[in-house]
Amino acid sequence: MARLIRTEKEVEGRYTEQWIVVDEDVLEQWPAGPLETVGRPVPRADGGQRARGEARYTADIKLPGMLHAAILRSPHAKARVRRIDTGRARRAPGVRAVLGPETGPLTDEPPYEGAPVAAVAAETSEQARTAVSLIEVEWERLEPLLDPEEAVRRNELIDEPNREERGEVERGLAESDAVVEAEYRTQTVLHNSMETHQAICEWDGDDRLTVYISTQFIWGVREEVAKRFGLPEDHVRVVCRFMGGGFGSKNGPGDYTYVAAELARATGRPVKCALTRREENLDSGNRNSTIQRLRVGARSDGTLTFLDGEFVNATGWDGWLASTGGPMRLLYACENVRTVEYGAKLNTPPMAAFRAPGFVEGTFGLECLLDELAAKLEIDPLELRRRNHSTHDAVDERPFSSKQLLECYRRAEPHWERRDEVRARSDATWKRGVGLASQVWYGGGGPPSYAWVRIGGDGRAAVITGMQDIGTGSATAMAQIAAEELGLPVDRIEVALGDSARGPYATISAGSSTIPSMGPAVRAAAADAARQLIEIAAQRYDREERVLSLKNGQIVSSDGGSWPLEEITGLLESGQILGKGSRGPNPTGMRVLTFGVQVAEVAVDVETGEVVVEKIVAIHDVGRVINPLGASSQVEGGIIQGLGHTLSEERLLDPSTGGNLTQTLDAYKIPTIADVPEIVTDLVDVPDEHLTNLGSKGLGEPPIIPTAAAIANAIRDATGADVRSLPITREEMLRALREASRQPAREEVGA
Amino acid sequence: MEVFTPRSLAEALRLKAEQPSAVPIEGGTDVMVELNFDRARPEALLNLNEVAELRGWSRDNGLLRLGASLTYTEAMAAPLSEQLPALAEASRTVGSPQIRNRGTLGGNLGTASPAGDALPPLLVEAAEVELSSVRGVRTLALEDFLVGPKRNALEADELITAVLVQPSGARQTFMKVGPRNAMVIAVCSLAVSVDQERCELRAAYGSAGPVTGLVTAPLDEVDSFPERVAEAASPIDDVRGSARYRRHALRVLAERGLQRCLT
Ligand SMILES: Cc1cc2nc3c(=O)[nH]c(=O)nc-3n(C[C@H](O)[C@H](O)[C@H](O)COP(=O)(O)OP(=O)(O)OC[C@H]3O[C@@H](n4cnc5c(N)ncnc54)[C@H](O)[C@@H]3O)c2cc1C
Repeated sequence: MARLIRTEKEVEGRYTEQWIVVDEDVLEQWPAGPLETVGRPVPRADGGQRARGEARYTADIKLPGMLHAAILRSPHAKARVRRIDTGRARRAPGVRAVLGPETGPLTDEPPYEGAPVAAVAAETSEQARTAVSLIEVEWERLEPLLDPEEAVRRNELIDEPNREERGEVERGLAESDAVVEAEYRTQTVLHNSMETHQAICEWDGDDRLTVYISTQFIWGVREEVAKRFGLPEDHVRVVCRFMGGGFGSKNGPGDYTYVAAELARATGRPVKCALTRREENLDSGNRNSTIQRLRVGARSDGTLTFLDGEFVNATGWDGWLASTGGPMRLLYACENVRTVEYGAKLNTPPMAAFRAPGFVEGTFGLECLLDELAAKLEIDPLELRRRNHSTHDAVDERPFSSKQLLECYRRAEPHWERRDEVRARSDATWKRGVGLASQVWYGGGGPPSYAWVRIGGDGRAAVITGMQDIGTGSATAMAQIAAEELGLPVDRIEVALGDSARGPYATISAGSSTIPSMGPAVRAAAADAARQLIEIAAQRYDREERVLSLKNGQIVSSDGGSWPLEEITGLLESGQILGKGSRGPNPTGMRVLTFGVQVAEVAVDVETGEVVVEKIVAIHDVGRVINPLGASSQVEGGIIQGLGHTLSEERLLDPSTGGNLTQTLDAYKIPTIADVPEIVTDLVDVPDEHLTNLGSKGLGEPPIIPTAAAIANAIRDATGADVRSLPITREEMLRALREASRQPAREEVGA
Repeated sequence: MEVFTPRSLAEALRLKAEQPSAVPIEGGTDVMVELNFDRARPEALLNLNEVAELRGWSRDNGLLRLGASLTYTEAMAAPLSEQLPALAEASRTVGSPQIRNRGTLGGNLGTASPAGDALPPLLVEAAEVELSSVRGVRTLALEDFLVGPKRNALEADELITAVLVQPSGARQTFMKVGPRNAMVIAVCSLAVSVDQERCELRAAYGSAGPVTGLVTAPLDEVDSFPERVAEAASPIDDVRGSARYRRHALRVLAERGLQRCLT
């Protein structure tokens, strides 16, 4: 019987209550450790297709009669259209439709550089772009607000400031033997997904719309597009079969989808709207810059007495207040914690979620602050973290569903102990050191998410669900889970996904939630199909159900005898066995979080300021690991992206005009393979016994969180300099070294 | 846009004389960027890829003749790399393998960017540029060829046909500072040589002034040379780095370069 219950849902740290329907019988978790398929390395099911260029991304789709859209974007950070003339654009070769600022989401009062003002559909994208260049606009330029601190002073905020306090900071301050206070800054960084944001919209009559889109959430796109055009949701079909990266920037439809839909409606033809790399780096979201004024106090034994943080987020024109103070509130046991977060509303492009939004920034500040405290107290930084380990969530006094952070620390020890050896390899020019940083994040996923499993006469199985694989390998993980439950080799499982018309509702692929949300639903669906197989096998082979199990493609009886699965499914000819499953609730009254620690080894050229990261060891607790191979790829990707944020990436705005100076990949420097250090991945792999039928949490975000702080702390270990501002360019490094040499020499850390 | 593909140097020079606005293209790693970014819309391209006379390198009585179509990959290979080690080092820092396979010396000279990585090692080796037209052939010292930021001494009907170098045999090196390890335009770069025979210190900097600049000093002025290099440069602030940092880095690179060449 279906049961209706009320449960709590968390997305990126924000909790809401909701109703869900759950299945009656709950599956026991599998035993810990590698099983037949789950927990073993499995190459990507679609790896070959991707490598050979056969995978069809949204960027590859060409529908018959398809037109191409191009968007005129504001060249000014704040302006008003005095007069616009689209006449020449309309008459340009190949042009089929032109939309002016009167059509939403286009605007005649662009509030940031890159905001969409007008759009053209033409036979080719070159024609569309040429026509856009023929649109004549007379601009009235207005004074933009670009300084986040100024915005906070003027109370120009995206939302109410978020103030949270537990205990009393003043009391903690009075009890402190040592206090450290510092200001940290993080820069604006850009997602730079390989596939730029794009969508193709095709109307079928005037009340049915198909959207092919590069997205992290086909159901979210379906809901928002249906709402915008006043359509029943089932009249909107959203397709995303292969996806070239999103990192949080593709959680919704975006202006380009609406532009494509409007132009498709105006022309009666399918329209593709694909951002160029420059547009991508102007207006597809960013990780906003932050200014963090932090204070920490401790007793001489290292016990934290208080934590206090003021966080200014340069949110931009739109977006939301990322929880930059989250790590300060969650990572350590500390009675007195106060955080206030501001989101400055500026004439700059809106932020978007970006791989652990807020926590990447906040962890840089907090974990550097902690190392500065360790130095002051002359306590080993790892030991300081151990002494302040939290056994429960102090924000709302809940137990953790599982927490293996101490085990992560234990595994970090041998890497941490290399400190002396690494430092000893320093010479007059190159200083070497080791640093570490801890990490906390969400990643428990939640309901609803559904899956179907279909078994055919040939004894092969298909997992059918409306989820998307955003390039993380989650489809392969689903195949492993179904294979485990059905006792089939993984190559006999097909995963059909990425189409809202061909499968049930599935989770957003954000907040590290795909595996923890979808995996349990897939297992439940496979178990439902397995149950039916056992039941019919019992009848066919005259055995009791309890002696039968599925293994290696066979139905196996514990009292002797085994039969190939296709022997029984073959009886059905074209008949099929259908299983269905859903994601159950998260454990009531518990806090589900992911944890980890990274240890970085660096070398700093103290003459040129060059920083070379030589090695990063990543130790994370994400519950049960489904595919260690896919998991290590996620860790490597997170660390490389984190490395870029730490050393070379920065969106630069012209301080007087607000114009983006780093729109191309020539100007905006993401790491190349030559910059990638040795990366060692070590996942604790202990199932969370309270979380779902799998015990798996998400891993997409955790690995990027501690990287910057671990590197900065290693730099301090190597040179004695405090780097408090990202990116650590050569100039920033030299500045920090100059500053350090002006201060009295500090005692050796942990000596 | 028209594309001319001459099969010989004579044909190329004739086409260039008839169509002086035609833009030469070798590897296209600069030209195509200009076109794609819509910074240039030439009426015609003069494709030099089929002109055999521009390819490869040769030696005549010790004088090296590097064809305008010589790629970085070719410059990195022995035995040429042994003759011009700093050029080989610089070539290894250029772009990616794809860019090094396509990009040419002729193109680097044609672009004449102050960040061109082939230029400092060639300046240190006192290279000359051979320019040809239907009117004849002339050679210019590289210093005189580079007349300004992205400006060179080519006449409208001329093509770069070769770079001529008498290898000095001096110890030499090339160093480049960039915000990451590959695919970077230099924040600044420096080629250094110590010519014991001629008793001369030579250094040429890139990305630290409107043109790649040469600094020389007598051999016994080693101590003051780094400062001299830093002072000779006239860097600016831009997205890649500040003038102050560039000057500082040049001083460090000069010290290191001298150290390498003197030990
Ligand atoms: C991704 C990337 C990375 C790069 N990295 C570097 C780098 O690290 N260092 C660096 O120095 N450069 C770099 N470049 C720039 C470029 O590769 C070099 O300048 C290269 O030497 C250009 O050679 P080419 O043969 O491709 O020139 P082309 O693009 O074919 O031509 C360049 C210019 O020279 C002119 N020209 C070419 N041949 C002749 C001739 N025979 N006579 C007269 N004029 C001629 C052309 O008209 C044009 O103006 C990079 C470019 C890219 C796209």
